[in-house]
Amino acid sequence: MFAYVRLELRRLGRTPGLLIFVVLMPLLNYLLFTNLHGLTGQDKDVAATYTMVSMAGYGAIGALLNYASGVVVDRSIGWMRQLRLTPLSPVRVVVGKGLTAMATAIVPVVALCAAAVAVNGVRLGAGQWLAIVPLLWFGSLPFALLGLGMGYLATAQTVQPLNLLVYLGMSIVGGLWLPLDVMPGWVAAVGRWLPTHAYADMSWQVAFGGAPTGTDVLTLTAWLVAFTALAVAGFRRSVRSTAGL
Amino acid sequence: MSTVELDRVSYAYRGGGLAVRDVSLRIEAGEVVAMLGPNGAGKSTTLLLLLGMLPPRTGTAKLFGGPVARAVADGRVGAMPQAGGVPPRSSVRDLLEFLHAVYPRPMPVAEAIALADLDGLAGRTVERLSGGQQQRLRFAMAVIGRPDLLILDEPTAALDVQSRRAFWASIRGYAAKGRTILFSTHYLEEADDNADRIVVLDRGRVIADGTATSVKRMVAVRTVSVAEREDGQDGGFERLPGVVAVARRDGRVVLTTTDSDATVLALAAAGLLRDLEVVGAGLEDAFLTLTGNRSGV
Repeated sequence: MFAYVRLELRRLGRTPGLLIFVVLMPLLNYLLFTNLHGLTGQDKDVAATYTMVSMAGYGAIGALLNYASGVVVDRSIGWMRQLRLTPLSPVRVVVGKGLTAMATAIVPVVALCAAAVAVNGVRLGAGQWLAIVPLLWFGSLPFALLGLGMGYLATAQTVQPLNLLVYLGMSIVGGLWLPLDVMPGWVAAVGRWLPTHAYADMSWQVAFGGAPTGTDVLTLTAWLVAFTALAVAGFRRSVRSTAGL
Repeated sequence: MSTVELDRVSYAYRGGGLAVRDVSLRIEAGEVVAMLGPNGAGKSTTLLLLLGMLPPRTGTAKLFGGPVARAVADGRVGAMPQAGGVPPRSSVRDLLEFLHAVYPRPMPVAEAIALADLDGLAGRTVERLSGGQQQRLRFAMAVIGRPDLLILDEPTAALDVQSRRAFWASIRGYAAKGRTILFSTHYLEEADDNADRIVVLDRGRVIADGTATSVKRMVAVRTVSVAEREDGQDGGFERLPGVVAVARRDGRVVLTTTDSDATVLALAAAGLLRDLEVVGAGLEDAFLTLTGNRSGV
């Protein structure tokens, strides 16, 4: 399995485009949102910290969804089938894919935190950093499973638009672009229950001196269970059905 | 214990007729077997059944006397599917090192590279390999685990004559180590040149199984040819006794027949006997006879 992760990391290393994209886009958003006065409806200092968390999460989710849904390509070119002819079991392949996905998520998290400190002078206690970085990193696990689920269930033609729709939709409605407080009431009412919101809120709480709430943890756990079920269903279907040799 | 054991296996694709009907096949350790047949004969389906990639509708498939999945998990089978299967943005070395780590008794990466004639290409990514080089990479990927059984589905399709020859040299090099090899092809000379045994498949059934010589002997095929009439008013050749195939080339009508005497007598009776020629036929014609393919050579 680790040999597979190594292969996948090498392949990723030859696709710098993906990582540049998932770092650059949130970074540009971050600079924009925190330097356009009043856009977020928050004080500049608050916005600098708040949006750091939002955009780090936004980047991590983008990396996970993009990379993990790439399973659809591995399927369509027959690579998954070729792997099934080796002693490496399909379960190890999917776990390896998930581990590699998680490795990609740390990149935008670290980049955004570093930019916040360097550009906007964000200062947090050591304990807060030690909580926020792992929360943003490991808390993004449900999105790795969502990406895998889409990669197993979608087709090569549908995966890109589906990905974009899910990614932007959940990010915007979940309050990652602009805080839910400045959104229309009905959007905020829906957004509160999205995994994107629960995921980012854990770190927002820590960043402003609190701790993740029970609601956040329960909401994110529920989505984790749902996305795992989706990924398992897609994975099973893919293993059962086989196209021509 | 046979290396390969298919027992009355059948398979139908959804919404289609039986692609494979009642196929039984035993292959012993060390044999090199060609599975020969036209497109749609059920070759790929049979190989998929044998690799456990399709569940047989009826019958059983066993490898090394046990379940197929166990043989695959133990790394005793290597397979080269017909197309695809190479992930973009990986280099030759990446892929071979990965598979080297996955199999229990692999050969060194350098040995696989040499066996597949990939020297100097280890650092190349798959996008930058030619079609022939990709095919050789896929061969290296199939053999690096030192499988006891190697299965190749039309391995030289889409290769030019020269790379085809080099490719078979690599495969024979692997066979020489006492491995069992089963390959499918619709090139008759490939089967004849490279296999100890030929299994002929047609419309999902095994219709002949033996050495190339015995497959040819099964039907004493001859070719009878006469000059075409200038007015083109000749016809009905396919209804003459013994005739299994009719082709027209270079102003001659070429008949493949299993009973040349009867065919010649009937030609004479019909007044079609002009510039008669009767010759023994090659494997190509034997194959046509066996599969009842009347579309010409």
